[in-house]
Amino acid sequence: MMSILGFLLALVVGVFVAPILGGLITGLDRRITARIQSRLGPPILQPFYDVAKLLGKEKLLNNSWQAFCAYVYLVAAATSVVLFFMQSDLLLIFFVQAVGAVFLVIGAMSVPSPYSQIGAQRELIQVLTYEPLLVLVLAGIYVHTGTFKISGIYALEEPMLLKLPLLFLVLGYALTIKLRKSPFDISASAHAHQEIVRGVYTEFSGPYLAILEIAHFYEVILILGLVSLFWSTSFVGMLVLVALTYLAEILVDNVSSRMTWRWMVTSAWAVGLTLTLINLLSLTM
Amino acid sequence: MHSTLMFILIVLPFLAAIACAVVPVKQVRSAVVVVTGALLVVASLLLIGKVPFETSFTSMAGLPLASMTQLADFLLLGFVLFLGWKHKHLGIKILAGAQLVILFALEAFMMDHHAASMAFVADPLSLTLVLIISIVGSIICIHAIPYMDNHEHHLHLTISRQPRFFAWLVVLLGTMNALVLTNDLLAFYFFFELTTLCSYMLIGHDGTEEATNNSVRALYLGSMGGLALLLGAVFFQNMLGSLEIQEIIKLAPSAGYAMLPMALLCVAAFVKSAQAPFQSWLLGAMVAPTPTSALLHSSTMVKAGVYLVLRMAPGFVDTTLSTYVALFGAFTFLATALLAVSQSNAKRILAYSTVSNLGLIIACAGINTPAATAAALFLIIFHAVSKALLFLCVGTIEQRIESRDIEDMHGLFVRMPVTASLAVIGVLTMILPPFGMLMGKWMAIESAAANVPVIMMLALGSAITLLYWARWAGLLMSHPLQGGVTPEVQPKLTKYPLVALCGGAVLLSLLSPWIYSALIVPMIDMVNLANPQAMFEAPYVTSKGMLGADSGVFPVAPLFLVLIVGMFLGLRVLKNAQGAREASIYLAGAQSRTAQTPDSFVGPVNQPVKVANANYYLTRLLPEGKVTCWVNTAAVLLALLLVVGGL
Amino acid sequence: MQAILDFIKSSRIKSPWLMHFDCGSCNGCDIETLACLTPVYDVERFGIVNVGNPKHADILIVSGTVNHRNKKVLANLYEQMPHPKVVVAIGACGLSGGVFREAPNVVGGIDKVIPVDAYVPGCPPKPEAIIDGVVLGLQKFAEKSLA
Ligand code: SF4
Repeated sequence: MMSILGFLLALVVGVFVAPILGGLITGLDRRITARIQSRLGPPILQPFYDVAKLLGKEKLLNNSWQAFCAYVYLVAAATSVVLFFMQSDLLLIFFVQAVGAVFLVIGAMSVPSPYSQIGAQRELIQVLTYEPLLVLVLAGIYVHTGTFKISGIYALEEPMLLKLPLLFLVLGYALTIKLRKSPFDISASAHAHQEIVRGVYTEFSGPYLAILEIAHFYEVILILGLVSLFWSTSFVGMLVLVALTYLAEILVDNVSSRMTWRWMVTSAWAVGLTLTLINLLSLTM
Repeated sequence: MHSTLMFILIVLPFLAAIACAVVPVKQVRSAVVVVTGALLVVASLLLIGKVPFETSFTSMAGLPLASMTQLADFLLLGFVLFLGWKHKHLGIKILAGAQLVILFALEAFMMDHHAASMAFVADPLSLTLVLIISIVGSIICIHAIPYMDNHEHHLHLTISRQPRFFAWLVVLLGTMNALVLTNDLLAFYFFFELTTLCSYMLIGHDGTEEATNNSVRALYLGSMGGLALLLGAVFFQNMLGSLEIQEIIKLAPSAGYAMLPMALLCVAAFVKSAQAPFQSWLLGAMVAPTPTSALLHSSTMVKAGVYLVLRMAPGFVDTTLSTYVALFGAFTFLATALLAVSQSNAKRILAYSTVSNLGLIIACAGINTPAATAAALFLIIFHAVSKALLFLCVGTIEQRIESRDIEDMHGLFVRMPVTASLAVIGVLTMILPPFGMLMGKWMAIESAAANVPVIMMLALGSAITLLYWARWAGLLMSHPLQGGVTPEVQPKLTKYPLVALCGGAVLLSLLSPWIYSALIVPMIDMVNLANPQAMFEAPYVTSKGMLGADSGVFPVAPLFLVLIVGMFLGLRVLKNAQGAREASIYLAGAQSRTAQTPDSFVGPVNQPVKVANANYYLTRLLPEGKVTCWVNTAAVLLALLLVVGGL
Repeated sequence: MQAILDFIKSSRIKSPWLMHFDCGSCNGCDIETLACLTPVYDVERFGIVNVGNPKHADILIVSGTVNHRNKKVLANLYEQMPHPKVVVAIGACGLSGGVFREAPNVVGGIDKVIPVDAYVPGCPPKPEAIIDGVVLGLQKFAEKSLA
């Protein structure tokens, strides 16, 4: 049973430290992206400036339900991160973050703007694509450790990556889709500006966009936390694995162009399911 | 006391049906339905404290029950035969004829009739079903009172056909209660057939050509299930010398070839639960008035199938049959979820999703571990409540907007704020934590995690489920920031059932740890009692409102705390948002600038054109006809594998 | 509380998201504007991001003359930007209608339709001049209150 102190620590770290860390990582991401494109790039703190500016802008809405949805997305993302730091059930954490994903879509769909609608539909397809892969990765972790609890992973003697290398690749594939990085920046893109004018985010502005940004910071932390579990035995190993994975994500983001959702679904499922099958069978044999 | 409760749960609905059928006064009929519903609710709640118990009656209220059912069985089959002749349907004629012969052979040559009594067993599993049937079923029947008035008004009927409708509706409640309580496989068969007849009558109620055709199809497929069930009974009688369900479960694991009749029973269950390849009758059933769909085809009658599998499951723990059942269920879960994606007809979405969820429950029954059994029971409970709510919402919406296409429900909140909100909550309780359906799914996935093919299908299926629900919930809520929303006026008997179901879905989710310790733990004890080889232990421990095990934890109460605090703040966010400046939608700057034409852009000749949006239905990727064809082929193969491979 | 407000205020200059609207320009000004966003000038250094949606934008950069057809679009886009917001008019056309100002279908400069905060002259102006104009606009942006 977790002590009260541990609970409070997880709460504080989850609610306050995580978004700051997530923002810094996002800032780093933009900086590295700029360097890859031989530019200087914005300061590391840029995401915080963006959020602060957005918070100080006028409230502009199509309906109040939108505001509610943005807010639920934030709460769900924060809750899932807190649960993560409390070393709770991985499957549950995943379902809690799905609440956020669903509400983002519902919020975008509540505005009859074609841009936001198309963004929402595409976002749903992205969710459809990465969800089964993530569930299967978690199932693989269960087969390996005998539990869905994160504490079970920390009890392992050797890093999970050695036993689940293919599932780690699947995780990477799914996370690229979750983070909407190229070639999967289909529902809302940070780079190709004009096409769907930022898809699901089109109708969110000012403080409400800021809420979505903060929720995204939480999600980045959750995702990297998930990655870190694959080298749970040493802190340095964890950092190295997370850094390498994220760098790979940024690199892929920069060298690939956007693909269609059809390609995304078929390729992700074909590759993901095959790799999962091989890895799961090799575990259970 | 037992006999009084049994009388209310089983016989009273039949008496009420007679009253509904013969008294042509609307007020009397409504009163009968409401009072019967209330009595059923009370009786089922009183039953909670009494389980488990066994009881048998030679007569009830002076009527010789057992011999009456035997006689009624032949009459029923004769009637089905007559229907087959009336509709010139060769299949029904053959199936009904075959059943008549087999039943006669069974009764005359194989059984001894010295104990002409009817045995009932009430255990936590049947109690759960009784509660669902009596409470959710009654709520649906009450909602039907104003619904059918509107329905007939809309059809311009001169002579009301409501007496007949309500009679069959309440008959179904009694039949279902009897079905889940009886301990005699032959009586089970009779009630099983009776539910088929009820669905035939209710689907064909409107008498249109489509309704008649679909009702005949339901009867045809239902008879197939009946035949499979009867054959299973014959085998059991021959092999084990008993038709007592509890006895069969005890004896089957050690008897040779007992898995063949088990497999036949499973096939019967698949038919009743409309699993692929038998799903077509349930899809067709959607032509019926919505209360029918809600009662028969989502929350109660189709549960008879999964009930049968769950009831028999202790009898085939750790067998190949069990593995195949799990595979079959998971396959249906995935396949029908895929089919639901291409649908824009709300009732068809609900129908496919029902089949899909029943598949998940059957998969759990096939996995056949305590955790999976718990998952199955949770899914049954929460699916019944949420799905009934959604069906009734669709019915209410349909009567207002005269369409059941979800594309016509864009911005429904403006016209029907209450019903639209309830529908959204209904959808959310189907797919998101901390609600019960999701918890059931969580348990299902955790207990299937080591079963590679099943977990793959569950993972894909649950993602697809999310897709078709979320896009529906999304389009309901669009409305202008200020004003424009017309308050909704509904008759009390329409509104209260909806609110009750919605409240029930949320409240029961909060209570799930307690439901677990009150219903599911005793049920697993019963399984051990029935099949001592199973040696099941309760899969989860509950403490402080959390469900926990070595494999995982689901903190129900803490999540609800987050939910409640979150909602409280969320309402403030909503209120706060009212102060925002109202924006028009982004249309690349081309939106028309008059307030009279919202959501429009300036089109040719400076005329405003309203934007039109529609969901992705992925019809090019997943055309319904083609997918159905593939799914049915695969399902037939799987079902054959199940019967043959189960040996 | 004051610290937060100050941070928000100082963040404004550091995070101007701009939207570029071509209001019937000859494309000369547009090419120069987009040049600012290339790696050569790399305005993302200053936190400037080119967005395609007025609802996300802080600064509206408009090039070209306003005519009777596109004046509604210009006004619409401006209206959909949340306050505080700044408009920078680019090029002779944006300032006054430029060489097209006598044409019968032309309304004139941007400020005939929406309030303009900074004017960047030239035909077309150099990217440095445009950046200069944006910086001027930014100062006004930081000072503006919510209303
Ligand atoms: S100012 Fe000169 S370059 Fe710019 S749009 Fe006008 S004519 Fe073209």
